[in-house]
Amino acid sequence: MPPWMSSGLIYASGLALTAGSITLLYIATRTFNFAVASMATIGFYTVYTGVALYGGLPYQYFPLALLVGAITGVICYYGLNRPLLRRQAAEITLMMSTLGYDLVLLSLIQMYADFLTNTYKLFPRRVTMSLYDFELFGDRAAAFILPVIAIGILMILHIFLTKTKFGVAMRATIENPVLAGASGINSDRVYLVSWIISGGMAALGGAFMAMAMTGTPVMGMYTIPLMFAGAILGGLGSIYGGILGGFVIGLTEYAGVFLLSQKFGAWVLGYRMGIPLFIMAATLLIFPRGLSGIPLFKILKSLAGGSLGGEKRGVSA
Amino acid sequence: MSTHGHFAEKFKDILLGRAFHMSLIIFVLLAFLYFSGGTSIILSILIQVAVFSIITMSLNLEAGYTGIPQFGRVAAVIAGAFAVGAIPGRIMAFFMSLPYGAEYASDTVNVKLVPQINAVLAGSWLLSLGFLLMCIVIAGAAGALVGWLISRPAIRLKEAYLGISMLAIGDFLMWVGHNWNIIVGGSVPVYVPDPFRIFGAARFNVIVPAFFLIAIIIFIYLNRLVKSPLGRNFRMLRDNELSASAAGLDIVKVRTQSLVIGACIAAIGGGLYVIYTGSVAAIGMTRLTFTFWPWAYMMLGAIGSNVGVFLGVFLLTILRTMIIIYRSQWFGFLQAAGIDPLWLEYTLLGAVIIIVILFLPYGLVPEKVRPMLPANRVKKVISQKQMQT
Repeated sequence: MPPWMSSGLIYASGLALTAGSITLLYIATRTFNFAVASMATIGFYTVYTGVALYGGLPYQYFPLALLVGAITGVICYYGLNRPLLRRQAAEITLMMSTLGYDLVLLSLIQMYADFLTNTYKLFPRRVTMSLYDFELFGDRAAAFILPVIAIGILMILHIFLTKTKFGVAMRATIENPVLAGASGINSDRVYLVSWIISGGMAALGGAFMAMAMTGTPVMGMYTIPLMFAGAILGGLGSIYGGILGGFVIGLTEYAGVFLLSQKFGAWVLGYRMGIPLFIMAATLLIFPRGLSGIPLFKILKSLAGGSLGGEKRGVSA
Repeated sequence: MSTHGHFAEKFKDILLGRAFHMSLIIFVLLAFLYFSGGTSIILSILIQVAVFSIITMSLNLEAGYTGIPQFGRVAAVIAGAFAVGAIPGRIMAFFMSLPYGAEYASDTVNVKLVPQINAVLAGSWLLSLGFLLMCIVIAGAAGALVGWLISRPAIRLKEAYLGISMLAIGDFLMWVGHNWNIIVGGSVPVYVPDPFRIFGAARFNVIVPAFFLIAIIIFIYLNRLVKSPLGRNFRMLRDNELSASAAGLDIVKVRTQSLVIGACIAAIGGGLYVIYTGSVAAIGMTRLTFTFWPWAYMMLGAIGSNVGVFLGVFLLTILRTMIIIYRSQWFGFLQAAGIDPLWLEYTLLGAVIIIVILFLPYGLVPEKVRPMLPANRVKKVISQKQMQT
């Protein structure tokens, strides 16, 4: 594999998870989660702390990153999101509230980085996580493992949402909260579970992305427009769309920068962020509601047989 | 009703109002800072208040009065800052037959050029004043242009989509400035010629009233604007887009007007900011400083009230400064653990946003909802009619 491709795959898998996290939460609670930025960074620092202090491979700390991300999600839900959802706050208010949470988390991350620097004499402000990786088929192992994990998570989510009772109840709440409440589904628990899943996905996504890029405390803050770009490209209508959108955005960034720098020279590298944003802007101009505005997606959805926001089904849970 | 009674009533309103109480708190805090820190702290707070109240008032026009989720305020600020960093100095260099092309922004040339321009500016107050006005005009024009360009794709989008797109545009502009050397030097900051150089050591003492004058002019302009038919259109769009379009309002046009006027004002704020700091560093034009802080100022003060915005900027700027000044006294326990207390600025910003949303949804000085005709005047008209019949 050429280096741009392996890095691109790693990065795109991470971006796919974060974009999926944003989409899931948006469908479930109408909340555009800004805090994904810091949750991703927290996921990276969880893995980094494990590897730097206790040794081993980054992969063995991924479950821990999932857990920490889920906890940050739960705190945000109980402290902030639930009172606002009960008050039926506007979409912009929900978005601003997660921004506030994100900034608080960012300050905690910065303090934690200071703490690691001074107490353990580490250098947590510029981390190259790929140094801790091992080699597989003459390439970085992450390039094979991470896309597989991402696809695995997607499949687990799919099974959870379509085959388990709670998953079906969750979809019912997302489709029509009032009706679901009337049939006895505890919407409060559904929101909580969406925050847990999306928090975990965001943190894991950040841990993935750090395997391809330099890990810094502001890593999430700099990449959040791209995470949103992925979610918006996916149309914010289905988790699968979000994950696919994030993957496309991540891969085109690396591929596009590689191809353009071959053609025009290395100066293109500075504008790498422009490529995915251009794709997002172009998509939005043609389809103001994202890729799910394309009928093709509806066809795919019906083929896949029941995704979020897909066909309606009588639910009693 | 006598005019005297009317004024007395108004005066009582002001005394009992939240705005007055907040001003008192601000005054006490300022006095405290003055006696413990001295004049220079007060001056720097006042300059920041002037600059950021301009930026936040422009945000208030777009987000508060028109209901546009403007998460890309930094884009217009960047337009103003880059324009002032790139254009007026080049014009001066052109007339002084110094290099004014791409090499103007290169770090080795710029360091030598700007002091020469400053020397010329310091020689004539007329030239300095003209230079300042030129900076403002250029910044405003650049901001209006960028605002218009952003409004083209933006008007088709709704709510969160719009907010995220504008946020992305702002970030992208920052990276363009950081990488394209010929605008403002790329990763090396470019110096801005200083129209206040003529005052020497008293520079800051003059900047404060000058910037406040500009801020007050903009304040008056905006207050007249929102009471004009155009301003009523803005609020109509905010309150109910559907009914606004049903009433024959061209939504695209109104939104564009709001975005262009707002961007123009924000760019003037950005231009003044770089004149005050004396240099433009592209990487410093972050969305944290120029989008999220203004949002916090606006939300704390009041969405849709310029007086509230002004007080919000004042209060938060003072709190930010206090964290910086008293970091070792108040937060020594953090420093003992090797943690820089400056990060508490982010905590403050996040906490203010959260607290305002949870407990003060309308801000400290909420917008007064005024009916087209006040109730007492309606009663008066009715009683007059009855008297006639």
